[in-house]
Amino acid sequence: MEKSIESIWKEGFLKKDALVAPKLNNLYNQKSKHIIDKFQRMYQINRIAIAAFALIVLPVSFISKLPYLGVLMFIAFAIIIAVSGRFMKKLKAINTGDTSYQYLNSFNEFIKDLLSVNEKLSRFLYPYIFIAIILGFWFGDIGGNIPGKEFVSKLIVDYPDMQLVLGLPLIGIFGATFIIFILALFGGIIGTWDINLVYSGVIKKLEELIGDMEELRN
Amino acid sequence: MSRDFYTSSILPYAAIIIKICRAYTNTQEDFEDYYQEVCLQIWKSRDNFREQSKWSTWVYRLSLNVCLTLLKKKKNSHQQFASDSLIQEEIEEGHQFVDESLNQLYDAIKQLSEIDRGVILLYLEEKSYQEIADIIDTNPNNIGVRIKRIKERLKKLLYGKVN
Repeated sequence: MEKSIESIWKEGFLKKDALVAPKLNNLYNQKSKHIIDKFQRMYQINRIAIAAFALIVLPVSFISKLPYLGVLMFIAFAIIIAVSGRFMKKLKAINTGDTSYQYLNSFNEFIKDLLSVNEKLSRFLYPYIFIAIILGFWFGDIGGNIPGKEFVSKLIVDYPDMQLVLGLPLIGIFGATFIIFILALFGGIIGTWDINLVYSGVIKKLEELIGDMEELRN
Repeated sequence: MSRDFYTSSILPYAAIIIKICRAYTNTQEDFEDYYQEVCLQIWKSRDNFREQSKWSTWVYRLSLNVCLTLLKKKKNSHQQFASDSLIQEEIEEGHQFVDESLNQLYDAIKQLSEIDRGVILLYLEEKSYQEIADIIDTNPNNIGVRIKRIKERLKKLLYGKVN
């Protein structure tokens, strides 16, 4: 005889063990795994994108007759990939600990370390990229005329009173030095902003989770 | 979450939370995760309870909302990262009740739309049409017709299986 759904429901839940509540002893276990897995995936995609960009920049710079720029940019990207490779190893080796709280705290330490190294690296990297662009356009192609020198020659014709130091316009040296100084000064902030732009969702979620867990523990 | 809060405010409603979470998950791991998330959200949102409705109504509504949100997130994440084979694997590893008829009923319920699952679960828990309407935030006049339609669909899905 066909049973009604109401009776299937009632009788089914009368059986022993039909309604066993899970223990709440490992809260956030899945969430912790998800957040760290998500970060790992995003970080890996980011690394691959930088590596791909570095590999594209090099031949394109030679084709565009700006090989010095390409080589210098390639070096910058290689440094970023090397440093991120070190962090990727650290990320994989994060101590999962006995609880989600320990796991997330280890991950939080990792993020702090990453942000600190990124800040220091950015102070050097942003001025370096600026210098690479200046030098790249200044020297132009290998074995060809030097565009920078040609540019200065034209400037001298237009501004004969312009002051030169070692063949370079003094105002240009001041301008470039000022920009390099600003980039070195604010490079850390730009670098942190850059990281937050990509990973702010994960970092915010991590802070929320740790906050919840600390409240739960108290 | 204090043990007292869990014991006094959640545990009396654990049965319905379990039943709802079972209807929206396919694996034991997911079920436990959903259950824990519902409990946490009840605890975290407890200050938002305004006593305009019964605590139980509020718990049901929150449980359904949490399950629907988690399900949506899971679907999005599957769309982005997982293959169809992974989804299939999860269904095959699904949890089972002792009662075979109940398993078949749950399998049928899982084939309903996400909202219809909530409606039928509340109906089976003998909630009034008004309460069901309050929980799923809809017009109570439509609930009766909707339940009738859902029951017909479930009977169709179960026909030949339950005898």
